[in-house]
Amino acid sequence: MAKVPKPNELELEHGMPQTGWMDTPTIFRPGNFSYPGKAKNLKVVGLANPREWSPNDADWKLPADWKNILLEGLRERLDKYRTLKVYMDICVRCGACADKCHFYLGSGDPKNMPVLRAELLRSVYRKEFTLAGKIMGKMVGARDLTEDVVKEWFMYFFQCTECRRCSLFCPYGIDTAEFTIIGRELLNLIGCNIDWIAGPVANCYQTGNHLGIQPHAFKDMIDFFVDEIEAVNGIRIEPTFNRKGAEVLFVTPSGDVFADPGTYTLMGYLMLFHEIGLDYTWSTYASEGGNFGFFTSHEMMKRLNSKIYAEAKRLGVKYIIGGECGHMWRVINQYMDTVNGPADFLEVPKSSITGTTFHNAASTKMIHLVEFTADLIKNGKLKLDATRNDHLKVTYHDSCNTARGMGFLDEPRYVLNSVCNNFYEMPPNTIREQTFCCGSGSGLNNDEFMEMRMRGGLPRANAVRHVHEKFGVNALSCICAIDRAALPTLMNYWVPDVTVYGLHELVGNALVMEGETERTTDLRGEPLPGMEDSENEDI
Amino acid sequence: MTILKYNSREIRLDEEGYLEKFEDWDETVACALADSEGVSKECPLGEHQMEILKFIRQYYERFGSAPVARAVCVRVQQPGKCEYVQFPDPITACKIAGIPKLETGYPLM
Repeated sequence: MAKVPKPNELELEHGMPQTGWMDTPTIFRPGNFSYPGKAKNLKVVGLANPREWSPNDADWKLPADWKNILLEGLRERLDKYRTLKVYMDICVRCGACADKCHFYLGSGDPKNMPVLRAELLRSVYRKEFTLAGKIMGKMVGARDLTEDVVKEWFMYFFQCTECRRCSLFCPYGIDTAEFTIIGRELLNLIGCNIDWIAGPVANCYQTGNHLGIQPHAFKDMIDFFVDEIEAVNGIRIEPTFNRKGAEVLFVTPSGDVFADPGTYTLMGYLMLFHEIGLDYTWSTYASEGGNFGFFTSHEMMKRLNSKIYAEAKRLGVKYIIGGECGHMWRVINQYMDTVNGPADFLEVPKSSITGTTFHNAASTKMIHLVEFTADLIKNGKLKLDATRNDHLKVTYHDSCNTARGMGFLDEPRYVLNSVCNNFYEMPPNTIREQTFCCGSGSGLNNDEFMEMRMRGGLPRANAVRHVHEKFGVNALSCICAIDRAALPTLMNYWVPDVTVYGLHELVGNALVMEGETERTTDLRGEPLPGMEDSENEDI
Repeated sequence: MTILKYNSREIRLDEEGYLEKFEDWDETVACALADSEGVSKECPLGEHQMEILKFIRQYYERFGSAPVARAVCVRVQQPGKCEYVQFPDPITACKIAGIPKLETGYPLM
């Protein structure tokens, strides 16, 4: 793995490039690309051209008819996705998006300007699918599809997190993430993808979650958190697994089951559901809320999403609640209903605690836990002691997918303001719809890509640093498992005094549970305000 | 595949330095891996380190997964963050324990 430069060693220039973009070669160097998908993982899900290869190889071992496969693949998708066809034609290259991309801001590489990233694909479209491009070629920005172009696609479609911040500023509403999505889908047709996506996809297909956690391990891990909660407040929780007839199926990203700090968020889920007496079950088969298939192809996204609904049907639940996740919600909110829906064997979600019906999920039958919790608080169903979070000065990172992807802006803030007393917003052009990406989304949060992750996360980290210096913020909250995995590294790199928390960890801290013993620590075993002198067990 | 030479032993690793076969592990292999990871040149490794490594291996044998990082310290009855104290981090601990690299979509933390 590449050595990651220290923050003061990063070189960053946004000057004029020496050569035109078509003449600038793609150079793979440690830190700017992700390792390719391993053959064994591609075989598990039947992806094309499984082989061992490296982007640094001169020969990428592409299929003999790779060019035809790509062009036919593009033709098929231009017919299938009207948006793609429109986006190909209507861009006037005004550049409004250019400086909105976190990867461009953090790297200075012009090919990370969204307009140019799209142009990588659009130039081939012009050459092959437009009369002007066929006749006038480079004069109208058209170029041939060559192996070098494929290498360029691989570099830059896997240097985009599909966060869609650029699309917010496009006067034509072009969604550049769609270029990345289609670009990756095309690359997958010839076996060019990355292992940090292919591995989790293969795991998810085989065991039900990205981490490959088998049913008995999944239960063992949750049982550990049950013990942890009992050590904090004396309450013994007894979650159920694969229980037929439960009212609700709860699905969360498997990162919450396995990786800190998501595991503390998961403790918050367990505590909340126990306290309100929700009739729910976990599933050890539909044990993944995330969907790395979405970063592979529409087809793979559909396959991985379908298991959640198959399991809901098998268990006979009424509806589904999803945990804190980002891209899970883009799949549910924007794709599920057309690819796997309607889920008419389920009921429109209705909270049995408050009586609220969630008509916004009338078709998908799946609601986000944060809206469920906001509704509980709004209806006075939770006893909360926000002073238990007084040791934290909290800011909130909007996940790109929940914020821009589904307009989920106020519910998390409503919950935050109910469970903590010290909440500070980052600057307005870095939050809500305009939120900056963590820099590691869409399957790019691997170690070998660390330098680009730290560069791409710079704008977000910069905004955190601002509130850290201005208000003393020491806690960054979020509602996305990839954020919880990626932001601690980012904070450690750029703003080391800030710790990352899932929203429901803060809920778990503040939740006053019936029959609890005196709380002296938060869920991490840190003393609560005023309890610093108590003798704390190391949990 | 690469060969790690340690004293008179030849240990087979994959291209990322993970032990190729789970069954090939013993306390000397742990020393070799700890040495190549820059963790320790001592052999045998310390008692606390070996407790952690053995627990990780037992967990993997039973569950086919690395354990949750902070569960390790509770289960082996060592203070919190024990893997960070005894090794630089849980990922390195798992590597020295000779279990395969987990392709997770999430870093082991």
